[in-house]
Amino acid sequence: MPELADLCAAAVEAAEGAEQVEAYAEEQASTKVEAYRGEVEGLSFSESRGVGVRVIVGGRLGFAYAADPSLEEVRTTVARARENAALATPDEHNVLPATEPIEPMDGLFFESLAALTTADKVPIALDMERIATTADPRVIKTDSVQYGDTVGRVAIASTAGLRAEFSGTGCWAVVITLAEQGDETQTGFSFKIARRLEDLDTAWVANEAVERAARMLGATKPATERVPVLLDPFAASSFLGVLAGGLSAESVQKGRSLFADLVGERVGSEAFTLVDDGRLIEGPGAEPFDGEGVPTGRTELLTGGVLSGFLHNTYTARRGATRSTGNATRGYRSTPGVGTTNLYVEPGEPSLEELLRRAEGGVLIQDVSGVHSGANAISGEFSVGATGLRIAGGELGEPLREMTIASTIPDMLQAITAVGADLRWFSSIGVPSILIGEMTLAGV
Amino acid sequence: MPGRPASIAAVLDRDLAADVLRAARVRGGDFAELFVEERVGISVRLDDGKIEEITTGQDRGAGVRVGHGVSYGYAYSNRLDRDALMKVAEAAAASATEEGAGDVVDLRALEPTVVHEATREASSIPVADKVAWVRDADETARSISAEVRQVSATYADSIQRILIATSDGRWVQELRPRIRLAVSVVAGRDGVIQTGFHGPAGLAGAEFIQANPPAETARVAARRAVAMLDSVPAPAGEMTAVLAPGMGGVLFHEAVGHPLEIDAVHKEASVYRGRIGEVLASPILSGVDDATVPNAWGSFSFDDEGTPAARTVLFEDGVLRGWLYDRLRASKDGVPSSGNGRRQSYAHPPIPRMTNTYILNGASTPKEILSGTERGVYVTALAGGQTNPATGDFVFGCSEAYLIEGGEMTTPVRGANLIGRAIEVMSNVDAIAADFDIWPGVCGKDGQGVPVGSGSPTLRISRITVGGTGA
Repeated sequence: MPELADLCAAAVEAAEGAEQVEAYAEEQASTKVEAYRGEVEGLSFSESRGVGVRVIVGGRLGFAYAADPSLEEVRTTVARARENAALATPDEHNVLPATEPIEPMDGLFFESLAALTTADKVPIALDMERIATTADPRVIKTDSVQYGDTVGRVAIASTAGLRAEFSGTGCWAVVITLAEQGDETQTGFSFKIARRLEDLDTAWVANEAVERAARMLGATKPATERVPVLLDPFAASSFLGVLAGGLSAESVQKGRSLFADLVGERVGSEAFTLVDDGRLIEGPGAEPFDGEGVPTGRTELLTGGVLSGFLHNTYTARRGATRSTGNATRGYRSTPGVGTTNLYVEPGEPSLEELLRRAEGGVLIQDVSGVHSGANAISGEFSVGATGLRIAGGELGEPLREMTIASTIPDMLQAITAVGADLRWFSSIGVPSILIGEMTLAGV
Repeated sequence: MPGRPASIAAVLDRDLAADVLRAARVRGGDFAELFVEERVGISVRLDDGKIEEITTGQDRGAGVRVGHGVSYGYAYSNRLDRDALMKVAEAAAASATEEGAGDVVDLRALEPTVVHEATREASSIPVADKVAWVRDADETARSISAEVRQVSATYADSIQRILIATSDGRWVQELRPRIRLAVSVVAGRDGVIQTGFHGPAGLAGAEFIQANPPAETARVAARRAVAMLDSVPAPAGEMTAVLAPGMGGVLFHEAVGHPLEIDAVHKEASVYRGRIGEVLASPILSGVDDATVPNAWGSFSFDDEGTPAARTVLFEDGVLRGWLYDRLRASKDGVPSSGNGRRQSYAHPPIPRMTNTYILNGASTPKEILSGTERGVYVTALAGGQTNPATGDFVFGCSEAYLIEGGEMTTPVRGANLIGRAIEVMSNVDAIAADFDIWPGVCGKDGQGVPVGSGSPTLRISRITVGGTGA
């Protein structure tokens, strides 16, 4: 089986004349173990590799890809992409990026994770399920307990002199518990992601899911009121996902962003700084270069509430007369789009205790539902369901459910009064607790 | 590389397949199945007058399933060498808990009873011709009216070659050529924007494009968008609805077909559960799911579990007759599979799915149906909808509809929704014509998309709730 780098090199060597050729290759192996009632409910394994080739001639772009190709098939793939390019309409913004030096990154790949066998992984899920169903007498069932991991490698090469590759490992745990009392059922969710098993702390994940379900038992519907709202990192991460879509230059250029034309203007509170940083090793989305081989970096999107810029790949940067921010995202089956690497809210000073004190009489929101279907990406309007806990005397009090929050993303960003120190990662989105001065919580 | 994928059997002989199946059964289980796939295809996308992207793709991979009861282990890889396949088999076997290995019966080739031939392989046509097809569609759509604002046209063809081997001795091979050219048009006038779509598709070669010329597809899409510019808000309330050819099939697929998929029935999420033999539709209505229709978009020779394509009667003269089965659930119910086990690709396990779901021709004529309708709506194109299979409740948006006044189609209406319950609405069908037509689509379920056809002649629903915004 040829190395990814050799497949990429074969593609670039097949370039003819003045054409630009880029080959992007990736391979990954993933495992997922699901546990239920003391047994393995599902075990899946997948392995894939492939190469995607872009050929650009005079602004004409052609693309072709092949799954698990031989060196010969890679050359054929180049020929296919060339044939396709010849028939495409020229677009002056179609260019390959000039090659820049790529600083290597340590700490993305751990042999200890790559060396795990299926037999090592099964007990991880079973243990989480055991803890989740025995830690509290009110929580004896789970909705879902999963352990998963991925070992991956990416290589890229181009006629611009680019030759780069890196490997990475990742593992994750998710537990959803069911707490029951009489006819009432509450769910509790927890999730953690890491690059090696040693950092995953699966017992902690199981225990957190138990606590989050148990503390919701006895939840009542509150009266409609305007109160301080503390979004915990789980709830806040749902909103950040919606925000991310509007900060891609691709959305801006296609007229699908609520932030178009607002660069330099205040769109959020001074307490809110939002950053994308592909070189932040703590973030699960860290990578030395993006889907076009452009070095990743740190891009401030909102600085103290002021919109400072958008995420770009090479195409959108050319079209917008700026530089790529190293945010080309892709798989081998597609041409590069624009996406986030590690998108995170810069953590603030206050501890959770301090935030709870400042949110006296308000509500901690621990879960929101319907953000993706309930939020309008262009106007930023949303109406979502929420569950949470009353904040009284600086502590978490009675559980509350059947609440709705209706606002707009811009209004919510403006109303932020403090950002906590408790930054937490959800896939490649990092967010701490966020205190919103006042919002209307409607009892449904 | 020739356009046609190399034979999978060339890289995967029966001995290797048998070894993989044996490895998959080391810990028992009811059966093991190997699904191997190679797919090559091209897509050409035109947007705003520009050929934006031409992509050629070659996919391959294999999935191994080990069934035990109605659960299973599933693993896949896109590498087809012995090492990769054995690793996949071991992973799929890991979830079985029985002791002792299961056996593997000698693999015997099954011959198809129905073959969907492409008379002119699309891969033999130069890409330049395919580009010319979408350009022709673009120019034609723009020539229909100065009010046409945007045109996008997508052409795609692919050939999927599959091989299925199972521990009970199936050895099945099939070549599935698919082709589609779809046009969507945006028309505008004084701040009003309307869209129109048309996209014929088939399990066929390039002869399909000759039979469904791009210019004609573009004309239909453009006329839809432009016609709707004159639309008035749809009336609301209970009224008669006449559905154009094909559209009754779309409604039948969503509101009736999904609750007849056996997984919905087993999960107690089907309005039809336990009611086989009852009259649950109009006595003039008969409907089938039929994967044997020659060269139809939802057809095949074998389903993705190696069961021969079949025609399943769902309703016969209004009487509920059957369910749509995959292999796992058929075995649970002690019946043969109906050949409805389908999957998006080797990376997905098969689940019960529809193929071509049709309401059959009736005795009326479209003219009789229309002239016999004093007042109502005539629906020529349905947009998306939502159905609840457990209750049969559905809501469908109409992307193109007209008022019927005094037995004639008159003013176009916008914002019309059809709202109802499957059993009641199907019982209210009081006239069916004989001008059958189909509407190809991609049906999504459990994160998997598969090509399906929906079909029907013109039919009339005597009473249905129309949700509109007008008076």
